[in-house]
Amino acid sequence: MPPHHRLEIRGLTKRFGPVEAVTDLTFDVEPGRVTGFLGPNGSGKTTTLRMLLGLVASDAGTARIGGRDYRDLPEPARTVGAVLEASNFHPARTGRDHLRVYADMLGAPAARVAEALALTGIAYAADRRAGGYSTGMRQRLNLATALLGDPPVLILDEPTNGLDPEGIAWLRGLLRDLAAEGRTVLVASHVLSEAERLVDDVVVMHRGRLLTTGPLTELLSDGTGLEQAFLRLTGAAA
Amino acid sequence: MNRLVRAELRRLFSTPLWRWGPPVAVLSGGALTAMAVLVGPENFDPPMPGIDTGPGVRLVLSLIGLTVLAPALFGALAVTSEYRHRTITYTFLFAPRRHRVLAAKLAAYALAGTGYGLIVAGSAAIALYGAAAARGTEVGASPGTVAGMLACLTAAMTAYTVIGVGVGALLRDQTAALAVLGAYLYMVEHLLVLIPGVSAVYPFLPGGATAALTQASLMGEASIEVTGSAATLLPPVLGAAVLLAYALLAAAAAVLLPMRRDVT
Repeated sequence: MPPHHRLEIRGLTKRFGPVEAVTDLTFDVEPGRVTGFLGPNGSGKTTTLRMLLGLVASDAGTARIGGRDYRDLPEPARTVGAVLEASNFHPARTGRDHLRVYADMLGAPAARVAEALALTGIAYAADRRAGGYSTGMRQRLNLATALLGDPPVLILDEPTNGLDPEGIAWLRGLLRDLAAEGRTVLVASHVLSEAERLVDDVVVMHRGRLLTTGPLTELLSDGTGLEQAFLRLTGAAA
Repeated sequence: MNRLVRAELRRLFSTPLWRWGPPVAVLSGGALTAMAVLVGPENFDPPMPGIDTGPGVRLVLSLIGLTVLAPALFGALAVTSEYRHRTITYTFLFAPRRHRVLAAKLAAYALAGTGYGLIVAGSAAIALYGAAAARGTEVGASPGTVAGMLACLTAAMTAYTVIGVGVGALLRDQTAALAVLGAYLYMVEHLLVLIPGVSAVYPFLPGGATAALTQASLMGEASIEVTGSAATLLPPVLGAAVLLAYALLAAAAAVLLPMRRDVT
């Protein structure tokens, strides 16, 4: 098992023209736990994840993985596996070939591709073109891509989009198992009912700013549920 | 082999696009040459030196230089399709030092462009000697001279593939890359040749450098017709160096500009 990695976000800020996408954001994500990164659409979650992964440059602040910027990690895709969009595939390439391209970039053998396909349950469709995949199959292929490098950190943006109830239950089990192995799992979601059943810790964003962060149990201490707690927090912030 | 280059080659050969390469290469090299030899440059309008003369052979083979849009587009598609299908997100996640991704694409497509160029050259050689034999005409250049020109054309195909990769990385949009490459190669440069003052820089433009590789071009002949003088061409080796410089320039511009932009 690779070493554990804490994610440390400090004073992270990003503007897109006149829009303040993320403002002075600070929080930690601990290894061995599933952390829910919650907030309505447009609250800045995706921009934060993209800054953490070096895809978007921040205007101020830092986002570190195990103490390093993403681009300074010696083996980035063996350290962090990320799922950011519903479809990042060439429609004419098969699922297996898609994974083999990225396995080549990692220097991973073909056997690892087969393992990732089996782990995500799409081995049966591996030799079909990704353009013909259902939304749920695409999510599984995304996960397989993220897991290719057997990374100690997983960062997933809305991973349950397009999954059927069976798929959601499967994903919940998989993420719990990965966290139990000591991995750091950060899951961005706006679907609170699903998040409540999955996460140990929460980071809540609203309009680009941090509303609260801590264990889920603390947030739910009044017994009203995550949705009520969330509405109470965003109501207070409005 | 570098793992990023291997990944780029796998990326290329795992979609059907590359299958267009060999037939287009045979059309650009073999079919074009066969047609020109069978018609005969002496029957062109205006008449040009026949295939039984050195200049005639040079002219026929230089026609292949007109087809460089194909490898340039092929190189441009390599990069623009990554943006179009958003695979660029994974690519930059797996290799966050983005200039390495571009360097790997340049290397992989230099290899692919050489393969394309070899098919062009091989089919052109078969067509040249085959069609000349069919017409009962001698080829007016030594096999060594013909081989040298075909080697230069192979280098040109490689260079244009790499230029395409650079332009694709710079523009990121498939339609824009097609429009810019097509308009430049088939319009802008041809107009420039006809402007007397500007024609002095023609040898240093991509088209002039390509013509330098075969030491002849249809545009040069047309220029003589129109202006009464032909632009002097660079020696073939310098022509190849100029083409390579354009490729590197486009790649360097891509690393400095769009490759740094946010991937949102």
